Amino acid sequence: MEKSGVKELNHRFLILFFAVLACAILTFYFASKGETRVYTHLFYIPILLAGVWYRKKAIYIALFLSFFYIIVTYPWTHPSDVFARSTILVAVAYVLGFVSEKRAKGEEKLKETKYYLDDIIKSSADAIVVVDMEGIVRSWNKAAEDYMGYTADEVIGTSNKKFFADPEEAERIMEIALRAGELKNYRTTVLNKDKKPVHINMSAALLKDKNGAPVGTVRVSRDVTKEMELEKKIKEERDNLNLILESMADGVYIVSKDYKVEFMNKVLIDEFGDQVGGICYKMFHDREEPCPLCKNTEVMKEKTMRWEWHSRRKNKTYDLIETPLKNIDGTISKLTIFRDISKRKQMEEELKEAKERYMVIFEHALTALCVIEEDKKVSLVNKEFETLSGYSREEIEGKKWTEFIAEEDLERVNKYHDERKKGGAPACCVFKFVSRNGEIKHVNTCIEPILDAKRCIASLLDITELKMKEDDLRETCEKLAELDKMKRDFLNVAYHEMRSPLAPIVGYASLLERFKLTDRGRKYIHNIEKCARQLEKMINRMLELARIDSRKVELILEEFSIPGVVWEVVKSLEPEAKKKKQKISIVIPEIEIQADKLKTVAIFTNLISNAIKYTLEKGIINVMIEDRGEDIRVCVTDTGIGIPEEHLPMIFERFYMVDTSLTRKSGSLGLGLSIVKEYVKLHGGRVWATSELEKGSKFFFTMPKRQK
Amino acid sequence: MQKKRILIVEDAAYMREMLVEMLEQEGKKYEVAGFAVDGKEAVEKYKELKPDLVTMDLVMEVMDGIQAIREIKKHDPNALILVITALGTPEQRKAALEAGADEYLWKPFTIKNLSDMLEKLLRKREE
Repeated sequence: MEKSGVKELNHRFLILFFAVLACAILTFYFASKGETRVYTHLFYIPILLAGVWYRKKAIYIALFLSFFYIIVTYPWTHPSDVFARSTILVAVAYVLGFVSEKRAKGEEKLKETKYYLDDIIKSSADAIVVVDMEGIVRSWNKAAEDYMGYTADEVIGTSNKKFFADPEEAERIMEIALRAGELKNYRTTVLNKDKKPVHINMSAALLKDKNGAPVGTVRVSRDVTKEMELEKKIKEERDNLNLILESMADGVYIVSKDYKVEFMNKVLIDEFGDQVGGICYKMFHDREEPCPLCKNTEVMKEKTMRWEWHSRRKNKTYDLIETPLKNIDGTISKLTIFRDISKRKQMEEELKEAKERYMVIFEHALTALCVIEEDKKVSLVNKEFETLSGYSREEIEGKKWTEFIAEEDLERVNKYHDERKKGGAPACCVFKFVSRNGEIKHVNTCIEPILDAKRCIASLLDITELKMKEDDLRETCEKLAELDKMKRDFLNVAYHEMRSPLAPIVGYASLLERFKLTDRGRKYIHNIEKCARQLEKMINRMLELARIDSRKVELILEEFSIPGVVWEVVKSLEPEAKKKKQKISIVIPEIEIQADKLKTVAIFTNLISNAIKYTLEKGIINVMIEDRGEDIRVCVTDTGIGIPEEHLPMIFERFYMVDTSLTRKSGSLGLGLSIVKEYVKLHGGRVWATSELEKGSKFFFTMPKRQK
Repeated sequence: MQKKRILIVEDAAYMREMLVEMLEQEGKKYEVAGFAVDGKEAVEKYKELKPDLVTMDLVMEVMDGIQAIREIKKHDPNALILVITALGTPEQRKAALEAGADEYLWKPFTIKNLSDMLEKLLRKREE
C-alpha cells in the first residue's frame, strides 16, 4: 500500500508538472501572437487536477500559474483583466482544494475503518468468510485458511459449494440466512483442501445494500472438531457410566440439588418404580418437604456420606453411599448407591442371637472352659472355670494359661497344645491343674483350635476324684491279679498234694487184691478203689478248668472218625448203663472231623455219662449226630428227671448244681458240663440244652468239621 | 534171668515203701538197687549204683526231677528213666519227655499199671 501510494504520487506529480509546463508554453506561444483570452482556460486543467489530487495545495499551483500568467501576458493585456482572471483561478483552486480536502478526509476515515476491520478479520481466530448471493466467495480470512487449507487467492471468486460435505448444505444455509436474516450456532461439516471433514460451528448474517436488498452473507465459523470429539467422548463416558450404573447390583440414583430425580438404575426402578423427573422426597417418602435424615445438604458441600436407612414401608434396611457428582454445567448432583442389606442385617441378628445362645451354653457348661489367646493369655472363662481355678474371672483376666499347669506337666501340655494347633495330637491330655492356693487338681483337657488356629478353646474336666478311684481300682486290680496268681499257684500245689495221697490208696488197694481175700475183703477193696478214682476224676476236672481259665489249654488237632469216638465212649460207659438196665441208641453217619480227639472224647463222655446218671432205670439214651456240611450237630437225649426251666441257662456254669442239698442222688461238683462248654467253645462250637421235667433233657452241641 | 536193678527216686517215704512192696510182689524180675530222696542224690546214686532203671518223681527239693533226668542222661544217655508223678498236665508230661524220660506214669496207679510200664520199657530196651 505504501509503495503504490508513492508511485501514485510521482505519477500525478509528473502529469501535473507536464500539464503546468504545457500551459506555460501554450500561454507563452499564444501570448506572443497576441491572443491572450482563450488560453487562460487551459490553466483550469492543472488546477483542477491539483485540486483533486493535492487538495489545498492546489492554491499554490493556482498562485504560481496566476503569477506566470500575469508576467507573460502583461505586455498584451490590461493588468486589471489579468488580475481578475488570476483571482478567479486562485478562487477556483481554493474551492476545489477545500472540497477535495474534505472528501479526502472522509475517505481516509473510511479507509482507516476498513483497515481496522481488515485487521480484525485477519487476526480473528474464527474464520470469517463473505459469500455473495450467488454463493461466490468474496472474502476469506487467515483463520479460514488455517482450517480449510485453501488460501484466499485460491478461493475468492469461486463457489462455496465445494466446501460442504453435503453439496446442498450451501443452499440450505443461504435459505435460512435469507429467511431469518441470520444463522446462529449452526453445526455442519465441511471438507478441507485434503478432503478431510471438519466440524464447524457457524453463525451468519445477511449483508444488505443501502436499499435493503440482500447482497450476500458474512459467515463466522469455528473448527469444533476437537470439541465434538470431546463431547462424543464425554457422551461415551456418560453412556458407559450409565451402563455401569444400570448393571450394578446395587440401586443407584441421582438427584439434583433441588431434589429432582435425574437418574435411577434398573434395580431401583424395579424396587421403587420409575420416578425419574419427580421430587425424591415426594416420590419415595410421600413427604411435602425434604426428609429429616436427608444428606443432600452435606453432599452439596462435596461430602461423601454413608449411612443406613431402614424403610418401614418396605421393611428393609439399606446401606447408602451418597457422593457429590459434578455436572458439566458446574452444578452438583447427589449420586446415591443403595444396597439392600436386610439379609445381612438379619444374618447379623441371627449371628448375634446364636452368639448369645452359645455364650449361655459356654457359661453354664458343666465343664470348665476357657479361651486361650495366641500369647497363651486366658481371655474368656466360664463359671465352671472359676470354680475349678478358685479365681474370679476378673482375677483370671491377664493370667497366662501356663500359670494353671503344674511345672512337671508344663512341657508335655505345651507340646500337646502346639500339636493341637496344627490339628494333630490325641484329643485329650491329662495334667495337674494348679488352682488357687496351689491346690493340685487332676484335669482331663481337650484343646481345640478356633479362628485360624490362633486362639484355642480348652475344656477341662476335673477328674481328681475319678483319678483317685482309678488309682484305687488299679490297686484293687493288682491285688486281684496277685490273688488270682496265688489261687492258681495254690490250686496247682493243691492238685499235686491231693493227688499224691491218692497214689498209695490206689496202689495199696491194687496190691491188696493180690492177696488171698474173703469176698467181703475184695468188696471193700473195690469200693476203696472206686471212691479213689472218683476223687481223682474231680481233682482232674478242677485242674482242667483252672488251666482253661489261665488259657493254658490248647487244641491238639488230628483227623478222626466221629462214630469211632462215640462207640469207644459208649463202650466204656456201657457197664454203668447196663447196671441201670438202660438202652443206648446211636444214630450217626460216618463223619471224619479234624479236632482235639481227647477233648472230643471228654465231651461225649461227660454228656453220655450225665445222661446215664440222670436217667432212671430202663430208660433210653439217644445219641444223634447230624452232618450239616460245615459242622456237625450232636444231640444227646435222655429220659431222665429233666431240669427245671429256670436252671437251664445256668447248668453250664461252673459249680452249678440243680440240687444243692447234700442228700442229692449223685455226687458231683457240677464241673462236667462246664468242661463240655469250654471244650466246645475251644473248638468254635456252641452248646445248649432243652428240657422237660419228668420227661427228660436234650443236650446239643455243634462243632466245626475243620479248624481254621 | 538176672533181676533188673531199679533205683527209686521219691521224696515221700510212703511212696518209696509202696514201690518197694510192689516191686517185691513182682519179685522174680526186679530188685531195688537203692533210694534217693532228691534229684541231686538221684544223680549221685545213679553214678554209684548204675541201675538198669530209675523211677523218678518230679516234685522234689534240692534238685527237681526234670533236672535230675537231664543230669543222668548227660552222664549216661542209655539210662532208662520212668517218671512217676502226680503232675499230669500235657505240658509237664512234655517237659519230662523232652528232658529225656522214657515213660511217664501218672499217680495214682495200680500195681498192674506199674508192672506193665516196666515190662514195656525193659522190652523196648532189649529190642
